[in-house]
Parts: sequence; C-alpha cells; structure tokens
Amino acid sequence: MPLVTEPTRAVQVLSAPLVIEYPFKRTTGPVVGAFLTGLRERILLGTRASDGRVIVPPAESDPVTGDDLTELVEVGPGGEVTTWAWVHHPHPKHPLDRPFAWALVRLDGADTAMLHVVDAGTVDAMRTGMRVEPRWRDEREGAIGDLACFTPEQG
Amino acid sequence: MGKDRVAVVGIGQTEHQATRGDVSMAGLVREAAARALADAEVSWADIDAVVIGKAPDFFEGVMMPELYLADALGASGKPLFRVHTAGSVGGSTSIVAAQLVQAGIHERVLTVAFEKQSESEAMWALSMPIPFQPPLHAGAGGYFAPHIRSYIRRAQAPDHIGILVALKDRTNALRNPHAHLHEHDITFHSIKDSLMLWDPIRYAETCPSSDGACAMVLASEAVGDEAAAAGRTPAWVHGTAMRSEPTMSADRDTVLPLGGAQCAAEVYRQAGITDPRRQVDCAEIYVPFSWFEPMWLENLGFAEPGQGWRLVEDGATALDGDLPVNMSGGVLSSNPIGASGMLRFAEAAMQVRGAAGEHQVDGARLAVGHAYGGGSQFFAMWVVGADKP
Repeated sequence: MPLVTEPTRAVQVLSAPLVIEYPFKRTTGPVVGAFLTGLRERILLGTRASDGRVIVPPAESDPVTGDDLTELVEVGPGGEVTTWAWVHHPHPKHPLDRPFAWALVRLDGADTAMLHVVDAGTVDAMRTGMRVEPRWRDEREGAIGDLACFTPEQG
Repeated sequence: MGKDRVAVVGIGQTEHQATRGDVSMAGLVREAAARALADAEVSWADIDAVVIGKAPDFFEGVMMPELYLADALGASGKPLFRVHTAGSVGGSTSIVAAQLVQAGIHERVLTVAFEKQSESEAMWALSMPIPFQPPLHAGAGGYFAPHIRSYIRRAQAPDHIGILVALKDRTNALRNPHAHLHEHDITFHSIKDSLMLWDPIRYAETCPSSDGACAMVLASEAVGDEAAAAGRTPAWVHGTAMRSEPTMSADRDTVLPLGGAQCAAEVYRQAGITDPRRQVDCAEIYVPFSWFEPMWLENLGFAEPGQGWRLVEDGATALDGDLPVNMSGGVLSSNPIGASGMLRFAEAAMQVRGAAGEHQVDGARLAVGHAYGGGSQFFAMWVVGADKP
C-alpha cells in the first residue's frame, strides 16, 4: 500500500471562473487628439516626419529618429488603395453587413497607407491602385469610426 | 567579477500630477526622456539602448506598453528591454540599465520608468477577487497596515512618528517643483486629524496617485569623464543590488524583510560602506506610507532594529539633520508607481551632483537610492557618489 497517492486525471479538481472587468481611459495627447478631433470635423490629418514624409495616421514621434513630430498636415480626402483583402461573408462584428474589403489606403498627400474599409459592392470592383473617397457618418464623436468607410471614387 | 564604471550623466522627470490630461502615455515618457537627454547634452541618436520599466500593465490596461512606446523612446534599430518588479521597478530598471554599461556592452543607455495612474485606479487594481479566497478589497494600504502595526508593537514606537514623517516629506516637497503635492498649509494637526484609512495609516500619511515619469542617461567612464570635464558633474555608481523573497511565505518577517537587509548588505559591500549612518550623506528611500521610514531605516542598517523611529523623532532624517531622508518629498508627495523607484535613484544622483536645487543637502558626496515592491517582496538599491568608486 503506497503511503503517497499520485494525483490522477480521473479526479475532479475544483475550478472556478475568474472574470475581471475594470474601467480604463485613454489620454490622447496633442497629436492623436488632433487626428481624432479632425475626424469629427471631416478633416484627415497626418504629421510630417523628419525626412519630410507625411505619416497618416499621425505619429507623435519620428519612427526613425525619435524626434518630436509636431507639424500637422491635412491630407486626402481622396486616396489610393495600395493592397486589399476581400471579406465574402461578413461577421456580425465586422464594420459592414455586406461583403467589403479591408484595405490599405494611401491618402492624397500622405506617404504611408492607413488600414480601413472599402465598400465596393463586389470583389470585381476592387483593384490595387483604385481611387477611393471617404464616406463620413452623420453623427461624429472624434473616433476612427467617424470615417465609416471608403468608397470607389465617383467620376 | 570585473565591472566597468558607470556615470549618471543625465536626469529628467515630468511635472507629476494627479492627471496629466495634456499628454498621452508616449508624451509622458518622452517628457522625462527628453529632459534627461538635454541634461546629458546628447540626442536620441547618441543612445545605444533603451531600458524601460513600469508597474503591472493592468494599471493602465495596455499590455506590454514597451511595444507601443518603442518609437516614442527613440528605440528604432536599438535594443529595447522591459523590466518589471512591481513597485521597485524604477530601481531595478535603473540597475538593469547600469549593468549594460558595467558589462561594457553599451556606451550610453537611456532608462525610463513611468506610470499614468489617471488612466485607471491602481489602488483597486491591486485588490482583484481571487476564487476560493475571501475578497479583501483592501488596496496596498490594507495590505501593509498590519505590517506597520507589528512594527509599532515590536519597536514600542509612539503614535506620532508616522505623522512626523508625513509632515517632513510633505514639507520637503514644497522645495521640489516637480512634486505632485504642494501642501502649503500642512501641519502636524492637519495630518493627525485626517481620515484614518487603514489603522494606523491616515489619509495624510498615504502616497498620492500620480501621473509621471523619470529618465536617466547612464554612461561609460569615458563619457562620464567628458561630462565632468565639460562642467556637467556626473554621479558615479558605487554599488547596485537587487533581492527578492516570497510574498506569501508565512515565516518571513515583513517588518524587517530578509531580502531588504541582504540587498542593503550587498550594496554597502560593493560601495565599501561599513557604517551607513556615518558614511552616507543622505538617502532617498521608498516610503509610500509614513511608517515605512523608520521601518526601512532599520532594514537598511541606518538604525538598530526597534530604534528607527528615534531618528525620526530626533529630527535626524530632516533636511537639516545628520541623515536627511527623502529630500524630494518622497513617494508620499509624488507616486507615479512605476517611476517612483527611479525617482528615488535619480534624487540620490541629483544630490551627489549638487543639482537638487532647493532640496539640496549641503556637501552630499555619497547617497543611497532605495525601492521596494510587491508585498515587500522585491528590493532594489544603489549607492552613488560624487567621486569615482
């Protein structure tokens, strides 16, 4: 008869759920705050980097040199799709309830592309290099969702 | 084991406040870092590596913030390390940065520590319910109050000692423009009459909740010599030590933690200190609740066990005493948790550089910086001097 018994997988070990819910908030600062405030006013902003490039969404500090970036530059509203992926069957939590594209959009005047949504109707309407323009929400609050999506440029 | 010498050539800190609503987390760390770089007269490009520390990520709810802060810290193309040892992290982050120089790996290391407590409520983040245990909801003060009661009983210390410490630290803070609290009307009686939060800890004997950051540029001996030659006096690192112990071990002594005593013994050994009370000119130690000053005076060998409170009562730890403690106003006057340990280390360095402004101790040549964290579980210390070790 062993004095010590080995734990066995057959034994039901006690477990309990641990759900942690906790309130946080974010302070945006002068650069990201300006970008978000701009969205509310239907203005798209980037920052000019040390090498002259315009970064959108704006960076607070230069990704190469680490310097402060303080010069805000208005960009867009139109832009160009640099790459994209089509969503055939949107999930309920996706931004649109119909097939759409996740796309990188380089706004006019910007040197970097921003991830957003293109509402093009069908996958056949999508192509790299296509021109797009923003569709704004009517009710805007200073958040990335104020820019509902991009649509193929009319014209 | 051979170590290269380390010089503190740049120090910067933010204006600590309850809410720094004007800056993002990135903006907060940059404010301190940019000031440290300016103090060292170097640019982002001159930095070889970045070591960042902060207290638990849950305090702001950004997991691994060092990822998001890499560009804000000018870390592109450079090594970036994150350190975490709870409340002592500002101290241990400084030590990890110093070791990169001691090891001869890097010439100039930027080290930064921060907390933006206003993004949430850290005190209660420390009190999460745990399954199968009764909920405590006591915060840090509730955790430490029994340790303090135990100290008072063992040392037979009079009740007013905690009040004297709070009055001293908050009065010192009036001389420190960076301090969060500037309580011009504070008196012994205003502290005594403040709300008893966790007996014996009163509201006015408790650290505030602050947004803030601290940064230092730690450099090689050659860089330190250049700074000295240019009239920018460096602080020289004479010793660094970290020790840990288990939080929940039933037989550990939370009044005189063994880890803290071992940490002090090691850092004094490195610095050649045999009589800390006589040899150390001033000390900046981690006192988040007033009674921890006499407790840590004993743990760090400045007083015999049970005698630390007498140094407080005699005024030895006042700014004009023979062992000034917490000249900056201490954690009791500014508490951006992750940065609090580094602020202690930085204040010690500022003192021996003669750069502490209105809270300068005349003739300070050798100073101790101290931090502790967890449930009095992690300890970090350094000794810095005006002279080379």
